[in-house]
Amino acid sequence: MARAVRTPAGLRPVLAVALVFTLVAAGFAVWTGRDWYAAAHDDSAGYAEQRDRALAAGEQAVQNLNTLDHRRVEQGLDLWESSTTGELHDQLVEGREEFATQVKGAKTVTTARVLSGAVTELDDRAGRARLLVALRITVTTPDSRSTDKDSRMLGELTRTDGQWKLSGLGQAPVGGTAAG
Amino acid sequence: MSTTTRHHLNRQRRRQARGRTPATPGEAGPAPRQERRPAAKPVREDREDREEREEREERAAGEAPAARGARRPRVPLLAVLCALTLLLGGFAGWAAHRAGELRDDPARANTALTDLARTSEVKARTATAVAALFSYDHTDPGAFERAGKTLLTGKAVEQHRALFAGVLAGAAAQKPVITTTVTDSAVERIDGDRARVLVYADQTSVSTAGPAAAGKKPAKGKAPARDQGVYAGAMFAVDVVRRGDVWLVEGIDTFGR
Repeated sequence: MARAVRTPAGLRPVLAVALVFTLVAAGFAVWTGRDWYAAAHDDSAGYAEQRDRALAAGEQAVQNLNTLDHRRVEQGLDLWESSTTGELHDQLVEGREEFATQVKGAKTVTTARVLSGAVTELDDRAGRARLLVALRITVTTPDSRSTDKDSRMLGELTRTDGQWKLSGLGQAPVGGTAAG
Repeated sequence: MSTTTRHHLNRQRRRQARGRTPATPGEAGPAPRQERRPAAKPVREDREDREEREEREERAAGEAPAARGARRPRVPLLAVLCALTLLLGGFAGWAAHRAGELRDDPARANTALTDLARTSEVKARTATAVAALFSYDHTDPGAFERAGKTLLTGKAVEQHRALFAGVLAGAAAQKPVITTTVTDSAVERIDGDRARVLVYADQTSVSTAGPAAAGKKPAKGKAPARDQGVYAGAMFAVDVVRRGDVWLVEGIDTFGR
């Protein structure tokens, strides 16, 4: 303080201006810092991330389970098993041989394309989710004829070891209970 | 280069000082040898020099008040303020950038499910709108037209007209009753006042013109027949937009069908 008194008159405004700038910068820093903190600690952000991860995994799994090439049956069925968990997984493992024989006999190539998909329910803590996937399935028979079929899939996902996997899959019933 | 120059200057100052204060035995060594010292040492010596000088200046504070003593504290203060301004400003810019980046993350911008109230509102409104827009009763065509006028906007107007062109053309002859019910729906995305909903719906279509008017009850899973009900499952996505209190359909995506 004693030294500031000795400041020549010409330099005092410069210091004052610098101080004002510093204070303004500090104000901005506090403001944006709080903004950033709020954005980084937003609860719904983690939930949104889980939703998107579940959807991405679910869509991929539904597509996998509707894709099978008779020339690479084992590979395809391995993918089926790795995309699923729980009861659905058990069912697939159980019916694997029978299914492989069927597809090899029919010599069909089935491919699927996800038209649209969305999560309907998500329990982040329990690691369970449900989703709707609109699917277009193309079946190509040995005579190179292909047919398209749209499928309204309902999927159930379970998170195991941090990964979302399909634990249930079915088609939305036509004329189901909701229709009355 | 500047280090050597400063070193030189310091040496000169020290020599001047030596004129005032008696020389210590250690400083009596030959000057050229000191010049050839390794690079690290002059720096240390430099610092020592400065400390020495500061001590001297403090002692001589009364002698030179304006020339040196006043200038030294102010330059650091100004520098500190400038540095602080830059640091704080830099932090503010960086924090704003990070916050913006987080907010612009598409996963966060989409509030489907994260905003449960809004999600169920969108679902409910969409179900109601779809039911009204995709149902047609020849006994009350006004309801269908009203729905089209009040619930559609943008390109959905044209899409809806195209979807029902066939039905309307044959309406007089076939006297159809089409009832659409949403069985499942899921909100893909909500971005402020816009949303996209995937819809699974059941559609019964009955022609009441034929002789079997009793066939109003839909026959499940049967091939289309003129006088029989047809039950079909439909899937499509609708884009909805909020206008005040109502959600309007602004796009109908039938996935190329």
